[in-house]
Amino acid sequence: MKKVIVIIFSLIILSIIGCEEKPSPTPYSPTPYNIDIPFGFPTDLNIPDDNPMTVEGIELGRFLFYDGRLSGRTHQDSLMSCATCHRQERSFEAGIDHPDFEDGHPHGISGLKTHHVMLPMINLVWNKTGYGWSGFLYPENQNVDMRNIEDMVRLAVLAKDEIDGDTTRIKNLFQSIEGYPELFGKAFGKEEVTFKNIERAIAQFIRTLISANSKFDGYMRGEVQFSPSELNGFVLFTTEEGADCFHCHGGYGNPLFTTHLFYNNGKDTIFTDPLDRYSITGNIMDHGAYKATTLRNIELQAPYMHDGRFKTLEEVIDFYAHDLNMSEQADPLMHHIIYGGNQLTASEKEDLLNFIKTLRDDEFLTRKDFAIPDKFPDQK
Amino acid sequence: MKLLNKARNIFLTITIAILFLMYSCGNDPIVPSDPVGKLKFEFYHLIDNSKIVFDSLIYFNEAGNKYLINEIQYFISDVEIHNDDGSSIILNEWNDIHYIDTDMESSQEYTFKEDISTGTYSAISFTFGIVDSKNESLMFVNPPHSFMFWPENLGGGYHYMKLNGKWINEDNLLAPFNFHLGRGQIYYSFPDSITDYIDNSFRINMQNVSYNIMADQTTTIVINMNMNKWFSNPNTYDHNYWGGDIMQNQEAMSHAIENGHDVFTYTLK
Repeated sequence: MKKVIVIIFSLIILSIIGCEEKPSPTPYSPTPYNIDIPFGFPTDLNIPDDNPMTVEGIELGRFLFYDGRLSGRTHQDSLMSCATCHRQERSFEAGIDHPDFEDGHPHGISGLKTHHVMLPMINLVWNKTGYGWSGFLYPENQNVDMRNIEDMVRLAVLAKDEIDGDTTRIKNLFQSIEGYPELFGKAFGKEEVTFKNIERAIAQFIRTLISANSKFDGYMRGEVQFSPSELNGFVLFTTEEGADCFHCHGGYGNPLFTTHLFYNNGKDTIFTDPLDRYSITGNIMDHGAYKATTLRNIELQAPYMHDGRFKTLEEVIDFYAHDLNMSEQADPLMHHIIYGGNQLTASEKEDLLNFIKTLRDDEFLTRKDFAIPDKFPDQK
Repeated sequence: MKLLNKARNIFLTITIAILFLMYSCGNDPIVPSDPVGKLKFEFYHLIDNSKIVFDSLIYFNEAGNKYLINEIQYFISDVEIHNDDGSSIILNEWNDIHYIDTDMESSQEYTFKEDISTGTYSAISFTFGIVDSKNESLMFVNPPHSFMFWPENLGGGYHYMKLNGKWINEDNLLAPFNFHLGRGQIYYSFPDSITDYIDNSFRINMQNVSYNIMADQTTTIVINMNMNKWFSNPNTYDHNYWGGDIMQNQEAMSHAIENGHDVFTYTLK
């Protein structure tokens, strides 16, 4: 009897011990990153459910954005990163003064030119209608691999006219670089480097690139005054009888300074570009239509239009004043087109230009947390 | 006996207390309520009683302008339904600003949040646009509503409507028109000196069909915008005369608004 009691007692003790939770490894708990919505900006953000923004993800994304080994190669001549083309001082475009690109038209690591010139890589977290000049990456796309910034990263890495990389080689390379696996662990819960997590991290960093502190923003907040010329330019910008820029490019009520929609703005009458908006919608009225770019920091983002045909803002303003071309596809919002343009006078053009320059955000262009890191994870 | 009475009193007290507690801690008492139903609007955009074929240069207005429509975006607000007995209900007041966009299918139908008492209703009215007291800049920060903003220097707030299209002008050329309505301006000297702004929003009253709200059912009403009505009755609106843009032309906007009274009709679905 005594033996039986001992056995039963032992079993009870064992079962209690067996039921106790085993100590778990350090839990994966990245720090959520919340975007501060600037005054007047939309509260709806384009952040996919499977890639919430975290401090750790953004930190990793910034390293990857600037690390030339994103090409999957280590030879000095073969390095290429996002930042090779997307330069902070040019509002994350190449800019017409890029040392390697003739007239600001980028080419890839192989020397092959991109089909179009670049679009601004700022305030993209508010773009919900499609990325690229044609909007070919959009949230409702049936092709789940063609929807968002994450996909844009992958496509840029793979494209012959951009990084021309190999995803396996790239992830293996970063797996082998001291410091990176640990950063992947902090950002995504496992130190194994996957290309999916490379896409996610870079996309998170890109979503932080918010420009919302220009002179215009100060004016909106009532902190600064415009000069008479800037003020007149603002009036021209936002009136139909003036330049009528605001219907496509926003203003006080739409401080993104774009609708992120697609317009045929009267550049041509014959449409031969296979990658215009028509290539996405199949609607013949979309021939020659392209995304309206944001005008924030636009003075730094030459060349202009999808094909970079204009080298200066003055040329762009002249085009809208006198050189519009009517076609069936021209957007009805281009109502001045019947007169060839809005017919601004020389002084009005100057005022309009001065207003557009108030959209330059110097703080954004010099922010340390958007700049190249002082050192990469493997640098002591 | 005395002890028995005492026990009975204690038992009764406890029973009453338990019943009281059960009553007070339980769900609210079920009070029979009036039967209610839901109301849904669907928005159709018609020319000559047919749905518009967008971007097709096949339409004529009263002035004889041959034209096409590219897109229509507009707000209606303060929807009111009128009972047979003369009473009326304003639905979802203050939040009742609906955006309709011919490029956005989801915007072309709307089910009101309220439960509506059953019965026969005889009319519908709403504000076309947004009345001045509600039409405040930056009240919409998210697209597509925010894209409707009306510039501050023209009075601020939001467009009531953007109707964009093209017509064949008197030079036989295809020309764009932006039939945009919103807050008007009175100019001392055009275009620099504005002395006052005008609330151009107006009420639409439709009384052509009776409709029933039935218990636990959704009644669907089709709201038809008849495009050619914007260009006729009482004013023959000629694009050749008014040109391609009217946001800064109160006279043109007022002609359009006077025509607006019979633009909308409704039918039961």
